[in-house]
Amino acid sequence: MKFTIEHVSKSFEKKQVLKDIDFTFENGKIYGLLGRNGAGKTTLFNCINGDIKTDGGKFSLEVDGTVRKTEPQDIGYVLSTPTVPEFLTGREFLKFFLDIHEDRIENKKTIDEYFEYVSIAPEDRDKLLKDYSHGMKNKMQMLVNIIAEPRVLLLDEPLTSLDVVVAEEMKQVLRSLKKDCITIFSTHIMDLALDLCDEIVLLNHGVLEVVDKSDLDSREFKEKIITALREDGNE
Amino acid sequence: MSKTLRLSFSLKNTYRVNSIIYALKQIPLIKKLIPGKAYQSRGLKVFANVLFWIWEVLSTFLWKLVYFLLMFFLPMSFLGISEGTEPAAFLHLLLILSAIGAFLNTYMFDPTKDKYYAMILLGMNAKEYTLVNYFYEIIRLLLGFTAFGLLFGLLAGLKVWECLLIPLFVAGVKFIYAAVELVRYEKNRKVVSGISQNVARLILAGVLLLFAYGLPALGIMIPRTISIGIMGAVIFAGILSWWKIFAFTQYHAMYKEILFGAMVLMDPSAQREIQQKQERKNISADTGISSNKKGFEYLNELFIKRHRKILWTSAIRIAVIAALVFAGLLVVTVAMPEEKAELNELVMTFLPYFVFIMYVLNRGTQFTRALFVNCDHSLLTYSFYKQPKMILKLFRIRLWELIKVNLLPAGVVGGGLALLLFASGGTANPLNYVIIIVSVMCMSIFFSVHYLMLYYLLQPYNAGTELKSGTYGIIMWVTYIACFVMMKLRLPTFVFGLCTIAFCILYSVVACALVYKVAPKTFRIRS
Repeated sequence: MKFTIEHVSKSFEKKQVLKDIDFTFENGKIYGLLGRNGAGKTTLFNCINGDIKTDGGKFSLEVDGTVRKTEPQDIGYVLSTPTVPEFLTGREFLKFFLDIHEDRIENKKTIDEYFEYVSIAPEDRDKLLKDYSHGMKNKMQMLVNIIAEPRVLLLDEPLTSLDVVVAEEMKQVLRSLKKDCITIFSTHIMDLALDLCDEIVLLNHGVLEVVDKSDLDSREFKEKIITALREDGNE
Repeated sequence: MSKTLRLSFSLKNTYRVNSIIYALKQIPLIKKLIPGKAYQSRGLKVFANVLFWIWEVLSTFLWKLVYFLLMFFLPMSFLGISEGTEPAAFLHLLLILSAIGAFLNTYMFDPTKDKYYAMILLGMNAKEYTLVNYFYEIIRLLLGFTAFGLLFGLLAGLKVWECLLIPLFVAGVKFIYAAVELVRYEKNRKVVSGISQNVARLILAGVLLLFAYGLPALGIMIPRTISIGIMGAVIFAGILSWWKIFAFTQYHAMYKEILFGAMVLMDPSAQREIQQKQERKNISADTGISSNKKGFEYLNELFIKRHRKILWTSAIRIAVIAALVFAGLLVVTVAMPEEKAELNELVMTFLPYFVFIMYVLNRGTQFTRALFVNCDHSLLTYSFYKQPKMILKLFRIRLWELIKVNLLPAGVVGGGLALLLFASGGTANPLNYVIIIVSVMCMSIFFSVHYLMLYYLLQPYNAGTELKSGTYGIIMWVTYIACFVMMKLRLPTFVFGLCTIAFCILYSVVACALVYKVAPKTFRIRS
């Protein structure tokens, strides 16, 4: 499976944020998307998720040799600030989500099995989501995105504000998922990107470019990334 | 001092000019004419600057004109002031209203953004900044009160020299109040702010207003010579108070206390946080709430049950109040048969008035806001929720729900009106009863459709749950004005009722068609 971005551009008034981007992501990999503040990472994610219209270009998926336009259900999007319907309990949210996706989900599990998967304790499962902690809301958001089995999973700095235990649990979940989907992970934390991601992609000057790691140790790789991000026009 | 004056003007000017540009950028069509780099555009800045200065000059005089018209001229014509006592009545009002103005409109203790930017963020000398700006405001006050104090004072029969005392007196009252508060701060570190003090001041203002207008209505007022004497004494005390204002050294510490609390409340993100907390409080924590439905019906049922307080409880409350009002009117028709004819005529011509009443009673704004903040705000980030068939399915469910909520008070109002018509003598055409009930219910359905349609077509909120659509704001205003204008309309119930029913049906059909065609593209979180 491949996810391809072809000639995608996006401007806000006169500022061109995405410049004719061409890039192909492959199945089984976690891509770390790095870029300076304001580089356009969230804009790119919003365009892929259909929240913002692009000025031009297209997103397509190649599945078993057949290329087609991406559909909304192909994309899962986990935001840095978890968004869950706060008037529902954790169990109700999962039930609603499973009802909506009942035709799509293969190997459907019980609600409690899903809770176990992201380590949400039994006593928290019937609480209103408004009373969940930030980390628990984040787990719920991640969980429903995983249940929907998207082909492309976008993660916009989802681990930044989590405590170390929850962050480690989430990393394990992401690693366990990677063989079935393309994961694109945006972060500001270099060590997290290097630890979790198979490829590092920079969003620089509105275009995507892979940072080649061959023959570099971790320190040299980091320096190469920093140097690329510091290049002219980025200061 | 002159540097402080220049800097404070430049600061105030910059943020007000930027606010004008921002406001212009929110208006549909006009925003397209404004360049992307508007905040750097010199021409646009000069234009906004000119607007700012025109407003500064106009407001110096305009508010005083409005003040004298509304607080002096109009009330005096209603109070039945006997001939020859106008000058005394005018001065009576001036004395009491100026006392109210001294503590409600202080200039000095108001927590404003420009003070926060200058004294807290930019660290400008608090004393210099305060004195320069206070002096500027007092000059504006003197100019405004001289012009209109002279005009309205002469109209009331005062002598020119008495009129010329007015601006000095008003400034003097403000100086005295400011000086008293500064002394109070020096003694016990208490500043003029906080809700409890505001409430106390509002109550005091209410009592003084009673004295201001109530006494002249009873023919009692402060004699003219005593008023003039008080004014002279106040001017003298005001001059002494100015010395205190000038000598006070703790402006920085005092403003820190005044501004910090107020600025937290003015900060948009803090306001948002407070608002979101408030919205969350509307979610019922009742653990017994459940639903046997599935999918979107399940989601909707739980939403309605957990928001019962802001949706159904308010609608029930409105319905009960409406029922009590109509019960009261029915009692009037029985107890005072002589009023029947007038009431009957009123019911037969007053239907247009109910457009505004149904506008006020409808729960559309609260319903759509709760929908966004507590539900759609989060679910719109999931791709399944944005699929056209899902959007339209949920729209249908929600529309029915909102119609039900609004129909309860509408049913009571419509039924009450029909009963009132019957009790007050009835009508030759029995169809009028049906028309009244159906048209009021149609109005209610119209507002349900109108608000939900606008929500789906314009989705006015951004990810921070702020209302960000200029178009939505304008349509809300147009809706209000249109409903308000309806109150002036007097048409036979039969004609207006039929027109209303036809219009509501047509509007609902067109609105639903529009939602089906456009909402799948527009129902998104505003970026």
